[in-house]
Amino acid sequence: MLNMKNVSKVYRTDTVETHALREFSLIVEEGEFVSVTGPSGSGKTTFLNIAGLLEDLTDGAYELDGRDISKLNDKERSRVRNEKIGFIFQSFNLIPELNIFDNVDVPLRYRGFNADERKRRIEQSIEMVGLGSRMQHLPAQLSGGQQQRVAIARALAGEPRFLLADEPTGNLDSQMADSVLDLLAEINAAGTTIIMVTHELGLADRARRNIFVRDGQVSDNAPELHLASMAAG
Amino acid sequence: MEFGPIWRAMMRNKGGYLLIALQIAVTMAVMVNAFAIMQERSIKMSRPSGIDDANTFSLVSVGFKPDMDAKTLVQEDLDLLRGLPGVVNAVETNSFPLRQGGWSEGLHREPGVGKSVSSSAIYFVDEHGLDTFALNLVDGQNFTPDQVSWDSDSPDFWPATVIVTQALAEDLFPDHEGSYVGKTFWFNDENPANIVGVVERMQAPWPTWTGVERSMLVPLRRESEFARYVIRTEPGYRDELMVQVEELLSGSNKDRIIRGLGSAEEARKLSYLGDAAMIKILSFIVVLLTAITGLGIVGLASFSVARRTRQIGIRRALGATKPAIIRYFMLENFLVSSVGVVAGGVLAIGLNIVMVQAFALTPLAWYVIPVAMIVLWVVGQAAVAGPARRASAISPAIATRSI
Ligand SMILES: Nc1ncnc2c1ncn2[C@@H]1O[C@H](COP(=O)(O)OP(=O)(O)O)[C@@H](O)[C@H]1O
Ligand SMILES: [Mg+2]
Repeated sequence: MLNMKNVSKVYRTDTVETHALREFSLIVEEGEFVSVTGPSGSGKTTFLNIAGLLEDLTDGAYELDGRDISKLNDKERSRVRNEKIGFIFQSFNLIPELNIFDNVDVPLRYRGFNADERKRRIEQSIEMVGLGSRMQHLPAQLSGGQQQRVAIARALAGEPRFLLADEPTGNLDSQMADSVLDLLAEINAAGTTIIMVTHELGLADRARRNIFVRDGQVSDNAPELHLASMAAG
Repeated sequence: MEFGPIWRAMMRNKGGYLLIALQIAVTMAVMVNAFAIMQERSIKMSRPSGIDDANTFSLVSVGFKPDMDAKTLVQEDLDLLRGLPGVVNAVETNSFPLRQGGWSEGLHREPGVGKSVSSSAIYFVDEHGLDTFALNLVDGQNFTPDQVSWDSDSPDFWPATVIVTQALAEDLFPDHEGSYVGKTFWFNDENPANIVGVVERMQAPWPTWTGVERSMLVPLRRESEFARYVIRTEPGYRDELMVQVEELLSGSNKDRIIRGLGSAEEARKLSYLGDAAMIKILSFIVVLLTAITGLGIVGLASFSVARRTRQIGIRRALGATKPAIIRYFMLENFLVSSVGVVAGGVLAIGLNIVMVQAFALTPLAWYVIPVAMIVLWVVGQAAVAGPARRASAISPAIATRSI
């Protein structure tokens, strides 16, 4: 379903060239729950941004759902993001001046659903993350864990095939992190493909498959993760 | 559309939007009323004087020899002028429309001491006056030569016949229906004047006078060393004849000087100088105010885009296309402008009512407010276009890159 082949990404400024990804290749099948770990600055977020069509790649090939992404224009890329991909970010990224209901509504409006359809989906997804009583609250009136649940509700309301999460528990304490991960596992069990970037090995372990990134490449040997798994096991 | 969430988001951040809406409202109120004043002034300025402004000029002959024969000189001058190629006609008179100086007289409907019922500008002319001024005679007849007299031969001063403007006739005889020819009124309390002709229009010398449309031709020639000539030319001959006539008259008699040469067009311009300046100043104010409002909108929108950089990136990540981002700011501006122009409409009408009462301004034409609304809507959308375009260029990667 996701197929990256020799993808590279170079950030150029006046003085420096940063090779964030080099010859990065990865295939993710439908229904997988993949965790991506690696040291800070190794290119995890860059990979996720390219996978989620938030950034262009410099070189290589990327196919999502059988479509060659490099051939899409901005409007088509926006549409793919809107319909096929749900995003969960480390800093929640709710829109502060919109209440919970309106936040979840944002991608649905871009999708062009009618008011009834949007309302049904919003209420259903907010109920699913257990915040049915908070629809009129503003993000600032919720705890971090609750905000991340809203973000998950927003990501899922459009029923995307693909969920991309960048350090989704990075700003949460471990108890909240656990409950968010439980939620993700549930979602994956229901059929949504998930790619989750994290630097917390304990969390990575809960995915069904682990990818280790180092220096912008998928690394074959991931000793730390292996050790963590053994410790956990 | 997405008015709902945009409106709710704005209501959580009212301050800036309210200020801009207020600015739009004030701009609109000023714009509308300035326009009403400008319109009134320009209507005033475009009123016809009744004479052929474009082809008429005037000059004054001032004799300085104590015992000169003014009668003969005036007649010689007029014969000379009327014989010049390019001259349609010429007359000796005391003033002409919009000259800002002239003679006015109170008029009575009955003889005897009493209050005057009307007043009129007086133009002393001979039988060539009607033609020289190119007046449109709508009733009666021109003076016959024997109705015209010299003031030195006229013991009562006021002659017995006059030609009046339609406006004067109506003011003198408000209840009268039918022809005014043959009607009589009185100068002072004992000099009857019989109306022999009615002209459509001939303005008084004073443009700000409420009775500016009331004037009359009086068939009296004045024997004076001070003589004003009004000359009408064929179209296109005025400027060269002005030069030629001045030279001719100066040369024909060395005992006088020629002064005050000027066209009726110049006099007209001069008399409306204040109105023209008012129109310029008001247009400048309206343009300035609109520009300031436009800049205010640009400022607010730029600030709003900068403040929401992150959320714009998030929206892009969630599937907003670039046009959708632009539309967001356009709609937001449309809402602010709408509040502004609706409040501005109320303010404008209120201000207009005050001005109508205080300065006798004519009430607003119905279309002024809708037009002003549309203008300000368009200004707002134009002002927000730049910042909105910049907003649409924000990368969706902002969502993951900034913490
Ligand atoms: N917009 C950018 N401009 C320049 N360099 C960047 C930019 N974004 C990321 N980088 C660099 O690319 C490398 C990979 O970054 P990133 O993918 O964010 O790493 P990770 O998420 O694994 O910590 C880092 O060296 C980072 O500094
Ligand atoms: Mg990262």
